[in-house]
Amino acid sequence: MKTARFSAAFLVFSALAGAHIGSPDVYLEGKAGPYQLFVTVRPPLTIPGVAEIEVRSQSPGIRSIRAVPLAITGAGSKFAPIPDPLKASSQDSQFFTGSLWMMTSGSWQVRLTVDGAQGPGTLSVPVPSFARASKRMEWGLGSILSVLGLFLAAGMVAMIGAATREAKLDAGQEPTAANLRSGRKATVIGAIIVLAVAFGGNYWWNSEANDYNLRIYRPLGMAAILNGTDLSLKMSEPGWMQANTVQLAAFRVFIRKMDDLVPDHGHIMHLYVIRQPGLDAIYHLHPEQREDGTFALTLPSMEAGRYKLYADIVHANGFPETMVTQIEIPALTSRPLAGDDAAAVTEPWQKASTANTVFTLPDGYKMEWLRGDKPLAAKRATSFNFRLTKPDGTAPTDMALYMGMLGHAAFVKTDGTVFAHIHPNGSVSMAALMLASGEAPEDHSAMHMGDSSPTLPSARTDTVSFPYGFPSPGRYRIFVQMKHGETVETGVFDALTAGT
Amino acid sequence: MAIYLCGVLAGIAFGYLILHTTFAKNSPLAASSVHIFGFRAPMGAFIASWGGIAMLTSAPFDNWWHDAYGLDVKIVSPPHILLILGVYAVVIGTLVLLAGHMNRSQSSSHVAERRLILYISGIMLVQIMIVLMESTERVYLHSLRAYLVTAALPPIMLALAWRLTGYRFAATYVAAFYTLFRLGLILVLPLFPAEPKLGPVYQQVTHFIPPDFPLLFVVPAFGLDLLWQRTKNWNAWKIAAASGFVWVALFFAVEWPFASFLMTPTSRNWFFGTGYLFYAMPPTSFMARNVFYPSTFSSLQFGLGLICAALLGMLAVRWGMARGEWLGKLKR
Repeated sequence: MKTARFSAAFLVFSALAGAHIGSPDVYLEGKAGPYQLFVTVRPPLTIPGVAEIEVRSQSPGIRSIRAVPLAITGAGSKFAPIPDPLKASSQDSQFFTGSLWMMTSGSWQVRLTVDGAQGPGTLSVPVPSFARASKRMEWGLGSILSVLGLFLAAGMVAMIGAATREAKLDAGQEPTAANLRSGRKATVIGAIIVLAVAFGGNYWWNSEANDYNLRIYRPLGMAAILNGTDLSLKMSEPGWMQANTVQLAAFRVFIRKMDDLVPDHGHIMHLYVIRQPGLDAIYHLHPEQREDGTFALTLPSMEAGRYKLYADIVHANGFPETMVTQIEIPALTSRPLAGDDAAAVTEPWQKASTANTVFTLPDGYKMEWLRGDKPLAAKRATSFNFRLTKPDGTAPTDMALYMGMLGHAAFVKTDGTVFAHIHPNGSVSMAALMLASGEAPEDHSAMHMGDSSPTLPSARTDTVSFPYGFPSPGRYRIFVQMKHGETVETGVFDALTAGT
Repeated sequence: MAIYLCGVLAGIAFGYLILHTTFAKNSPLAASSVHIFGFRAPMGAFIASWGGIAMLTSAPFDNWWHDAYGLDVKIVSPPHILLILGVYAVVIGTLVLLAGHMNRSQSSSHVAERRLILYISGIMLVQIMIVLMESTERVYLHSLRAYLVTAALPPIMLALAWRLTGYRFAATYVAAFYTLFRLGLILVLPLFPAEPKLGPVYQQVTHFIPPDFPLLFVVPAFGLDLLWQRTKNWNAWKIAAASGFVWVALFFAVEWPFASFLMTPTSRNWFFGTGYLFYAMPPTSFMARNVFYPSTFSSLQFGLGLICAALLGMLAVRWGMARGEWLGKLKR
């Protein structure tokens, strides 16, 4: 069986996760009409496959929730299949679970339709759908199938022998020596045929597995070139979801392009530059796209080191991606931070304590992680709450929106397998959320002017909450950005997460 | 699940026949049995049981396949082929059982048995065309592959039915059964309301969607019957060679222009059914646009390909004749 063959592919590809790295689950906090919901969608490993849905309602009185998958844009966004009902927990009437099939790769939304005491409501949850890996065959199943396969093969050979030896004999007639010889000869020929079929089948299986592996998600490539203080980033297509044959062009509705990027909360690219291995320097920057498709920016003053670059982009259909590359950067004396730039330099995670929940900022302000008493656990939908205070401990009176939101957060696993850029709405791309809500992503420029989009916060408070769940146990560093006045603060926190 | 239930039924029914023939005292079939792995039973019972076990083996295999590579929305995948082989084995086992019974029977006419053989051959043809569906939908009917696969497999059942039953129009009957069965699907299935349960939904659907209009096998099958009536004294290979060419020539002559008709708006009605589109058929697909899949062959290459198809047809007819003759002599 193919147990060994797929283990390598599994290890290589299981870390990939579209908009984020190693963090495929989708978390969203939003309103379905009058009901405040915290939604978790766990996309399947393979496509087509079954996504698991969990919904916690913070509003009572919900009678039913139904879920349906739809494309966010284009073909497939017009007609919906029959919705699947979610099941209310017997212990907790405000907790619902269910599942639905994600049949193709693409930019999808799970549309939740809620009915309850306060009337109906809907909430669209953008879910990028793509295959992340193939699954290996367990030893037990492999053994059972091997035994059955051998039995079928032996049975086929035996039937060919018996058919030649005895099938034409009259009732009661014993096979002659010639019949027995013919039977043996047929058995040998039958065995050769069955072996040939088995080898042919194995070849076919390999070919199907290779075809499938081509459908496993591969993010856009990114090459970084540093010239003085000028950084340029060039994207490359590794050959995922292309339409390079007549057949694919006709049937592949979702095709990845490189020239269809849309702004996500005001910027075409959000670039996190994080120093390795200590994760002790972080820069949140926004390169501009040139006409030739490359991205460019003048780096601010930076400390020397090996940096990992995480570049978040969103395609016009709402499909988000994170491109990753690494680069050595010498100590740079350059421009100061400007506009939506944000940065922090602190001690490496190896020297930091996971018990520390207060981060003192360079200007004396403090950011506090309101962690609560509940221990952190992987795969658990959690609200990560942070509060900004002035040096005297009081709430700032000039809280401002940072790119249209109360804050931004990046969850980075110290072993490099996880990077997730999270917003107060959750892990979804804001551009995808706006597309799914029927808004144009370009409308996000309005965020800076305090427009009244449903995806915008209603109040500018000193506390921000990020719905998210650690994808796996281990040590994480959390970078949180909040804005007061014209200052963007970056707080740094460390977390140790246990298993589920 | 219904498909696997058929596997269970086959396993139980034919497994019982094997156990009863092996262990029961004075079993009437004991003397007319073959021996396999220490068991004894008529040949067909072993074949059909093998089919049942193959069908049931395909279930966990298919389930794992879905987990590993996603749900395969295509017909031709390794676990599906194992399932289909199992289904074929159940049908072939039944045919073998029936042939053995007919050959042992004292009656001279065997009308019921022969009709049942035609029926089973028709069922087999329907099942063969399910496997070939991905190459024979209307958008592929101006592609060489459709003519190659339809020459390679369907004539086997026609020749087998002819040789085994001896009926003058056996091939026509079998092809007519397939035609009526598929026509029935077009006429009946859309009468029942249905809605898609999975996304993406590219085509709005309010009822069951039938498969494509049946291929016009009746015409080349009728041609084969006429040929076979006139070539009784020919050498078997010569009959097969002529049959291969007759099959391809007649089928190509009628199906090619008929496929063009199926692409026109006139055919989008309750009878030809080309307006029925599967809910997940992308609007960019050839089917949704009513456009033929583009052929990559020149006219000369296509012509040579049709000759290859005729040679495949020859092998198929010869194989079917040989299997029919073998079944005609089967006693156990």
